[in-house]
Amino acid sequence: MPVISLQNLKKVYKLGDNTVNALRGVSLDIEEGEFVAITGPSGSGKSTMMHILGCLDRPTEGHYLLNGNDVSNLSRDELADIRNRQIGFVFQGFNLLPRTTAAENVEVPLLYSRPVLPASERRARALEALRAMGLTDRAFHHPSQLSGGQQQRVAIARALVNRPTLILADEPTGNLDTATSIEVMRLLQELREKQKITIVLITHEPDIAAYGTRIIAVRDGIIISDKPNVPRRVSDEPEALPLAAVG
Amino acid sequence: MFAMLPVNLKLAVRSLNRNRLRTLLTMLGIIIGVAAVLTMVALGTGARASVEGEVGSAGTNIIFVRAGNYTRGGDAVGIVSGRGAATTLVAGDADAIRAGVSGIKALSPGVALRTFIASGSSRAFTRVQGIDSGFAAIYSWNMSAGRMLDSAAAAPEAVLGANLAATLFGADTDPLGQMIQVRDSAYRVVGVSDGQAEDHADVLFVPWQTLQKSLGQNHLDTITLAAEKAGESSRIASDITNLLRERHGITGTPSAGYLAGQGGVGGVPDDFTVETQAAQALTKGLYTPAAAFALANLPKLDEVTLEEMADTLDRASDTMTALLASIAGVSLIVGGIGIMNIMLVSITERTREIGLRMAAGARSGDVALQFLIEAVTLSMVGGLVGLVLGLVSAQLIGWSLGWPTTVSLGAMALAIGIAASVGLVFGSYPARRAAQLDPIEALRTE
Ligand SMILES: Nc1ncnc2c1ncn2[C@@H]1O[C@H](COP(=O)(O)OP(=O)(O)O)[C@@H](O)[C@H]1O
Ligand SMILES: [Mg+2]
Repeated sequence: MPVISLQNLKKVYKLGDNTVNALRGVSLDIEEGEFVAITGPSGSGKSTMMHILGCLDRPTEGHYLLNGNDVSNLSRDELADIRNRQIGFVFQGFNLLPRTTAAENVEVPLLYSRPVLPASERRARALEALRAMGLTDRAFHHPSQLSGGQQQRVAIARALVNRPTLILADEPTGNLDTATSIEVMRLLQELREKQKITIVLITHEPDIAAYGTRIIAVRDGIIISDKPNVPRRVSDEPEALPLAAVG
Repeated sequence: MFAMLPVNLKLAVRSLNRNRLRTLLTMLGIIIGVAAVLTMVALGTGARASVEGEVGSAGTNIIFVRAGNYTRGGDAVGIVSGRGAATTLVAGDADAIRAGVSGIKALSPGVALRTFIASGSSRAFTRVQGIDSGFAAIYSWNMSAGRMLDSAAAAPEAVLGANLAATLFGADTDPLGQMIQVRDSAYRVVGVSDGQAEDHADVLFVPWQTLQKSLGQNHLDTITLAAEKAGESSRIASDITNLLRERHGITGTPSAGYLAGQGGVGGVPDDFTVETQAAQALTKGLYTPAAAFALANLPKLDEVTLEEMADTLDRASDTMTALLASIAGVSLIVGGIGIMNIMLVSITERTREIGLRMAAGARSGDVALQFLIEAVTLSMVGGLVGLVLGLVSAQLIGWSLGWPTTVSLGAMALAIGIAASVGLVFGSYPARRAAQLDPIEALRTE
């Protein structure tokens, strides 16, 4: 059973008299453990697709089956619960809470778990996720005290902390320099390989898309190509740096 | 919801702590409102308690009829300057009151003088009061020894106040049966009264007829009586006034106001004064300045009863309460609007945070709860500060008005409860706005 199954998915935005067909019939299956990179020019519908995949929005038409369940017509709160349990987000702008420690940032998804987790368990799981991202010694730093790469690693820890089946990353390297971007990609690859987490990555950079096991190109709201890919390895990179050197 | 309370409280405190000045300014309305509520309750209950205390301790409503009246410094001035002597109040008046005015529990004619009295080698300068047996009922005396005077006999017998008995006879001698010389008459002591009202403990009481004879006077100085029902003093006082005017041939309508009962301008002044216990208490300064203020505009001051006085004080404190209640109401509403405003600002500033929380799985209710708790925390902290301020201001106002203040735990709980409800009411709209944000839009905001 595919983790994600999109069936003729359409999204129409109505702006007064104008209608924008952001997605015009997208069908697609993504299996567990795939690392899918979605590419396409600006305005092609990548983010719209990501919002629907992330249960932040509902399609105008068509069906979205997440782990076999149709989530196209669920209520706001039901979607919130699915986001909480099954999806981890990594954003371009990190979206960490300012003046809040890394550990507390990572705990955020755990605050909304049902049933409620005790504070001690929330903290333990946050620290574990930070450790997996190599940030144990930064757990009680505020975002302003962390570098861009460290902030994005905190954000990935936050996406992972509730053990989701799917990680959605919208331009996660958009704000990072090349070396740090490569390091983040290496972390995502490792997650896929070691934890069998399915990853959907949106990027307009072919270099970044090359880390995926499958590359999907979209244009004007439809898929124009969908190919498997031999993922680029970090070791292939001339400028690859060991983790410790990534600031 | 309750499991998340500590987290939400922590978030609220952190958020409020981040903008301390803003938080303080926002709380100002609530602080003032709660302080006003508390002051209001303190003054209201304090005033009521003091009046109830007075009414309770007075027990009965005693009415005094005195011979003579206040005279004025001059017709035009109308300043009360003293009580003139009059010899027109007689035993017949007492009988007529007893017969013609209803609702009287007990009555005693009175004759009084201050003089030296002697018993054996002991001498004392004291008040001698001619009364009849009704006096004991008026003041609810119990005899600590012996018996009360016998009205019918009008024998040369005496009853003493406790202090006087001790002064004259010492602690070892039984006063009963002792003889006391007053002017040309000798009285045999038949009882000792436990009366503490006025200066009863220092007075020698004898039958009024005997004292009249000894003084060679035919008039009475006072008639003292007690109303059967506490609330009837005013009516009885006015009945007595009418009856005595008629008996004394006084015509003309008395004017209203402070000098009422002294006869209207142009009319013949009364040759007697009817006073109730409340007015007496007032003139003795037993009441607080606040009470005096409240009573200043009462018509027929002399005839006012304790009940009326209680009513008036109640009304005065009601006025004060209404005033403070409107201050409280207005500041609480202003405070509430302030909270609503600052919460809306805070939500705008933190739109991205809200979007992030929603993406991480917060339901609408989770977001609403977070901001509602922040609003309630804001108003409750304001309420606590207002509580302290209110206690201080109640104390200060009470002290400067001479008005006792009491703040019960219930009143404090009420004040905090009001503060919390203001936060709840005015925080709910911003909280709902936050909860209804679209996560995608929220995440996009800068
Ligand atoms: N909330 C919205 N309201 C109206 N139009 C929108 C909205 N979001 C996206 N669009 C439009 O839908 C199309 C696809 O946008 P988007 O999915 O953001 O593309 P991409 O992420 O690939 O740049 C664009 O034409 C964009 O203008
Ligand atoms: Mg986009």
